[in-house]
Amino acid sequence: MSAVITDTSQAAATPLVRLSKLNKHYGDFVAVDNLSLDIHEGEFLTFLGSSGSGKSTTLSMLAGFETPSSGEILVQGKSLINVPPHKRDIGMVFQRYSLFPHLSVRGNISFPLDIRKLAADECERRVEAMLKLVQLESFAHRRPSQLSGGQQQRVAIARALVYEPRILLMDEPLGALDKKLREDLQDELRHLHRRLGITIVYVTHDQEEAMRLSQRIAIFSHGRIVGLGTGQTLYQNPPNAFVASFLGNSNFLQGTLTGNASVQFEQQALAIKPQNLPLNSDVLLMVRPEKAQVLPLDAPTPLLTGWNEITAQVSEVVFLGDSLTCSVVTPGGSRLTVKALPHGQAPLHSGAQVRVRWAAADACVYSEWNAADLSKSAAH
Amino acid sequence: MLLSPNAMGRRLRYGLFCTTAIIALFLLLPIVFIVLLSFGSSQWLIFPPPGWTLKWYGQFFANEQWMTSALVSLKVAVLTTICALALGLPAAFALVRGRFPGRELLYALFTLPMIVPLVIIAVAVYALFLKLGYTGTLFAFVVSHVIVALPFTVISLINSLKLFDQAIEDAAVICGASRLQAILKVTFPAIRPGIVAGALFAFLVSWDEVVLSVMMASPSLQTLPVKMWTTLRQDLTPVIAVASTLLIGLSFLVMLIAALLRRRTSPTR
Repeated sequence: MSAVITDTSQAAATPLVRLSKLNKHYGDFVAVDNLSLDIHEGEFLTFLGSSGSGKSTTLSMLAGFETPSSGEILVQGKSLINVPPHKRDIGMVFQRYSLFPHLSVRGNISFPLDIRKLAADECERRVEAMLKLVQLESFAHRRPSQLSGGQQQRVAIARALVYEPRILLMDEPLGALDKKLREDLQDELRHLHRRLGITIVYVTHDQEEAMRLSQRIAIFSHGRIVGLGTGQTLYQNPPNAFVASFLGNSNFLQGTLTGNASVQFEQQALAIKPQNLPLNSDVLLMVRPEKAQVLPLDAPTPLLTGWNEITAQVSEVVFLGDSLTCSVVTPGGSRLTVKALPHGQAPLHSGAQVRVRWAAADACVYSEWNAADLSKSAAH
Repeated sequence: MLLSPNAMGRRLRYGLFCTTAIIALFLLLPIVFIVLLSFGSSQWLIFPPPGWTLKWYGQFFANEQWMTSALVSLKVAVLTTICALALGLPAAFALVRGRFPGRELLYALFTLPMIVPLVIIAVAVYALFLKLGYTGTLFAFVVSHVIVALPFTVISLINSLKLFDQAIEDAAVICGASRLQAILKVTFPAIRPGIVAGALFAFLVSWDEVVLSVMMASPSLQTLPVKMWTTLRQDLTPVIAVASTLLIGLSFLVMLIAALLRRRTSPTR
């Protein structure tokens, strides 16, 4: 009994895919920089990053279309480096569907089985099952050009799943579709993954899509993974200032450490989560707009313990239907954005003096950052 | 609006119509002329023909020399087409997909026979084959025709291969097909219109080639255009008009088949 239990725990511990110290150079350009990553059996992992961050190159190396300059790719402990792409037993869905234009929907889906010379009745059974899975039974005889974008992508998914690959790679598969259809297919894809339990590695530059789909997200920047974890963890506790500014909106306040849990910010003392950093070191606080509150100066609400308060002047208020975005400027010139509910408070107007509050526990603290990381949030 | 289609358009459209009609007539006239002459009863190629007859067609088909040369033409054109495709397909893949120094130069080299005067190629090939003793052979005809047909084939193949999204071929590879299988089973069917066009160009270039063929020909082995050329220098019989008509007829037929094939292969929306 105990041997069985050890076995399963070991199986869970060894990842399905292990990328180890992977590098890819094109001349002087470093596309992927010493990247290591474990992908677990059955998980939905998304590579998220802007274009040129190395996410697609990493996926290409996993598929076998690009050869790493150095490093190792292991699947179930075996190296894939010298295995050509057609023998890797990997499924892939491409951005522009990439269906075979001269074959029908059925022909497209049965192509991988025909190549493998599967028995006709088995092939027939699997294709029917796939057609049913992607709800295209009545379109089986159509050519790809006679289908909508969403239908074409469903054919591509069926074609990638029909031979039951170990891993399914998806390279921005919904990028060419409009927003509504994309959201529908995202839901479909999530349900499909949870139902079939296959391992999916998904590439996108759309963070909302990454959040919607994935169990884990790997955030790419300059060929490295700069953040890895669930969407929730990455959003609420970004490991660094880049991830904080890349994911969602963020306010950054620069200050100097005056104690292990206090910071001097523009002549005001602010409380922070206890830090293990030398005194007088420069730190960066990050507060999400929805974690901050904005109150009129004369509001009688008392300040709770563990909360910070600073005064600021409203520069702009934008009504967004379900919320308000209020931009404020501190006396020292720092800009903050606060997301507030449109009701329940005295109306805000630009020029008004306000108090901005947030709980010390909700602010992240960083001791190292690049100025470029922060300006990225302004570009959003 | 000075240039609005309604105000300006009418006169402009009328003018364009007339110009186009005149140009079309200018291009078609020799063909119409020769076709009519092949049915004319005068043996001096008088136009308009005094009467109509099929006599010259009878003479053409009864003459073994004419029939042999027509057959040689067909044989050379088919072989040229096959060779142009066999060489053109790998060349097109290399020129479109290859990332190597001198790719542009190689492309220029492949299209060079289109620019170099035909006579120069003919003299060069003739000199070489004369030395090797290949003149008057089928081999000499095919090789020389492939030289001039290849640029047309390669350009047609390159264009269709450039339009083909390579991710489709990659999709076939990740589905389990080797690169060669993917090219044969997916890429070739997808670029079939380009392959057909490239083949037709090669066929047509060879079918009515005369400059090279005159050099390569021997009394016992000559193509239809060469036979016409040599006959023309001896006497002016309407049988030449018949040969011309048949030459044009086959070219026309090939173009028609190409058009029909293109219509059938193009996806219906």
